[in-house]
Amino acid sequence: MPEWYSHPFFLLLPTAFFTLAIFSFLYKDNPMFKLAEHVFAGLSAGYYFGLIWQSVIRQQVWMPLTQDGQWSVLIPGVLGLLMFARFFPRIGWTTRLPLAFVIGSTAGIMFIQQLHGMVLPQVGRTLLPLDSLRNILIIVGVLTTLIYFYFSKPHTGTLGWIASVGIGFIMVAFGAHFGYTVMARVSLLIGRVQFLLVDWLGVAR
Amino acid sequence: MHGTAAMDVSGKSFWERLQSVDRRILYTLIFASVIIPILWPLHLPTPVTPESRAFFNAVDSLPSGSVVLFPFDFWPSTLPETEPMAVAGLRHCFRKNLRVVGLSNVGMGGPSIADRLLDSIGSEFHKTYGVDYVNLGYKANYSAVLLGMGSKIADIYPADHRGTRLDSIPLMRQVPNYDSVKFVLIVSDNAMTDYWVALVNARYGLPMVAGVTAIMAPKMLSYIQSHQLLGLLGGMKGAAEYEQLIDHSDKASRGMDAQSLIHFLIIAFIILGNFGFFMLRREQSQKGQN
Repeated sequence: MPEWYSHPFFLLLPTAFFTLAIFSFLYKDNPMFKLAEHVFAGLSAGYYFGLIWQSVIRQQVWMPLTQDGQWSVLIPGVLGLLMFARFFPRIGWTTRLPLAFVIGSTAGIMFIQQLHGMVLPQVGRTLLPLDSLRNILIIVGVLTTLIYFYFSKPHTGTLGWIASVGIGFIMVAFGAHFGYTVMARVSLLIGRVQFLLVDWLGVAR
Repeated sequence: MHGTAAMDVSGKSFWERLQSVDRRILYTLIFASVIIPILWPLHLPTPVTPESRAFFNAVDSLPSGSVVLFPFDFWPSTLPETEPMAVAGLRHCFRKNLRVVGLSNVGMGGPSIADRLLDSIGSEFHKTYGVDYVNLGYKANYSAVLLGMGSKIADIYPADHRGTRLDSIPLMRQVPNYDSVKFVLIVSDNAMTDYWVALVNARYGLPMVAGVTAIMAPKMLSYIQSHQLLGLLGGMKGAAEYEQLIDHSDKASRGMDAQSLIHFLIIAFIILGNFGFFMLRREQSQKGQN
């Protein structure tokens, strides 16, 4: 390999090209942006196919079957193949079997997950003693926010006043989310500029 | 600045123009705010939050040799936020002589990123693949993966990302299931953190910390409060704080000058826009009275 080719500028040239091609959309839609978009979609599909082939079909079906004699893997294997039966109208109905299994097992797991892992611990940690300003704020915030979402009675009088306190807490939450969202988006820009100036051009450290 | 005196050729008053600044001006200012501090660092301070310190303390208190499960649950699109966290996390783990079992529930790029980072940071600390760290790679269906590993990891991962059978890997022979895992260090840009908390922490009681993208951070704070997570890193700032704590400044710390500058700029524009709005309203009400 020639020496100039191993320089980061040339090694990272394709990455830099596609970065700039994506940024060119800020000016307006153009063929370079379209090219980058299509290459990304194609690469992603190819990568994912290879990964699933190697990690799932080969490692979780073929290897246990041929090396360990685990015939039981044929059951999920066949169920997986039945997902493609919808392409053949005569046996299309068999697709319902794996779908029923997926929906049933997912519903069961999610029910337990939400109740045991989310609702109960979160409710448990909201039942706090009113012995500090922090605890009082948490309890007032939770109750007033919940009351804001109670729509069976008009929000007037005391209920309206409590709901408006809830709106205040919701607004604070929105503000925090907005601030963090700005930070996330800006981070992505910083990352790309760091790549262009530091990794590719080497004009900064 | 009031009334006709402040009108430009388009007939707009100063306050009206303040509320409709050309987006190309904003783009240019934001771009300049990113480039300038990268070329000439300002070294603005980044105070450490209690959540980041708790994250550091949780990892730091683990005994040497402990097995840490390290999910690389992020897409390449969020690398500026998540990669510094993963790098700092690995440095911390390897410096403490913790053994790292990497995996990814994100198919698109996740296992390759895990491979690259584990190898590069592992070599920094002269660690050996298969003894000090391993990359299990990706398997489809996160709920089956997370719950199945509680019974037998080899059932879910018959081989690692490189295709080596798990029973041939010295580290994995000692880690049959979650019973041998001391800790989980999640780096994630999606709902996987929720699943680790709700499926693994709730059911198996495994202590865990999470480094997440900034967008996810406010929601994750509720897990800190409920002690389902022991510590939290939020976005690039969280990563920069962690870099400070492990005393190894890297990409996140270098990006924080630009981050602070852009936030100043956005705050300034929000204040100016609102000021313009109220001044215009006052101007219009005065005109109405006349």
